Amino acid sequence: MYIKGLVCFFLFLSLAFSSSTFAQSSYQIGGLPAVNLNYKLKKGWTLNFKFESRHLFQRDILNAESDNSYRYVLSDYSLIGAKKVGLNSRIAGGYLLRLLGDKIVNRAIFQYSTTQNLSNLKLAHRIVFDQTFSQNETPEHRIRYRLVCEIPMNGQSADLREFYLKVGSEWLNSIQDSKYDIEIRLIPLLGYTITEKHKIEIGLDYRASSILNSNIRHNYWIALNWFIEL
Amino acid sequence: MPNYFNVIFICILLALCSNSLFAQSKYEMEKRIKEEDVPTRALHFIDSLRLVKKVRWYLEKGFGRSSIEAKFKLNKKKYSVEFDTTGSIEDIEVQIKWDNLQPKSKDAITNILKEDCKKFKIRKIQIQYLGSRAVLLEKIRDKHDSMNNIIIRYEIVVRCSETKSVALFEYLFSETGEKLSVSEILIENASNLVY
Repeated sequence: MYIKGLVCFFLFLSLAFSSSTFAQSSYQIGGLPAVNLNYKLKKGWTLNFKFESRHLFQRDILNAESDNSYRYVLSDYSLIGAKKVGLNSRIAGGYLLRLLGDKIVNRAIFQYSTTQNLSNLKLAHRIVFDQTFSQNETPEHRIRYRLVCEIPMNGQSADLREFYLKVGSEWLNSIQDSKYDIEIRLIPLLGYTITEKHKIEIGLDYRASSILNSNIRHNYWIALNWFIEL
Repeated sequence: MPNYFNVIFICILLALCSNSLFAQSKYEMEKRIKEEDVPTRALHFIDSLRLVKKVRWYLEKGFGRSSIEAKFKLNKKKYSVEFDTTGSIEDIEVQIKWDNLQPKSKDAITNILKEDCKKFKIRKIQIQYLGSRAVLLEKIRDKHDSMNNIIIRYEIVVRCSETKSVALFEYLFSETGEKLSVSEILIENASNLVY
């Protein structure tokens, strides 16, 4: 009960924080399809390859007339190697390549994650340090913490051919050009376990970015995730 | 350039997934069921306990066998009563603490775990009662003082560390602490929570 309360409090805090910052804001609505390929190696090593692309359906900047035209935004390709360091915890490192028009963005990723199997839900904590490099911008350094819980819709765990809810929140702290900023993300998703090796999830990936700047950006992405175990 | 990348990626993805998507899966699950779907004999057994707190019913499907499980709290203890699919009782499990075990059983179990693991931590202990329906009913009502006609076992979940690995095991011990079986608990894949 204590952990459930903590999760609810954390999500409520995220929601309250992000909704209280609507003055002078802009928004984007789009799609965020992603495919995750996971491959188990020997001696507790795993590899994760992720492909994610962004597609914009609507945007509005500072209450100007909204733009409803479809626009492809970017594609991300990441490869992360993880090593099991405890029963349910891993340290990982990897690289992300972002293709943003003609621009190429590189990101180095280091993360620690741990999962808790409770009687009726699973909790996952993730801390990520990443550094983003691109040709015309100074490097951006971020430290982020994500808390996600998986709640089965039936029984005590999300078994085969069963639905589950995945609810999470992530707090991102970034520093670039000596400017510090915060981004908050909320992810309510509905998932389905198709087979032992395939899971799909659909839902909202809400991101409130540039929170410490005067112009907050609200991003509403329709997330579609496909997880594959090879 | 992004389009070429995406086309190549989708082709590789389809090639990789064509086998795994339709491959035979292992079948092990538990599913919450309604009271109407519970065999009458199992329902009568639980009803006769006149429990105040809610009873949760589950259908468990394992490797070639299914069972019905009733979970509830009684006198601040967590009970799990397992029936076969016809409603015949199989066993009663009650979650207990390490201190509730007899000193002799504790010593025997500790010695076995020390042999099997470099380091270990007990995660969960359940005392298992096996016997006839009448005897188990009396036991759960706490009126069965004598342990005659009841077989006692301990089901213990242990985090066991070796030099370079750590895993979760389910041990089954007799009342005297003799090891009856041990099996590794496969940790469910959580890549959808991490990435």
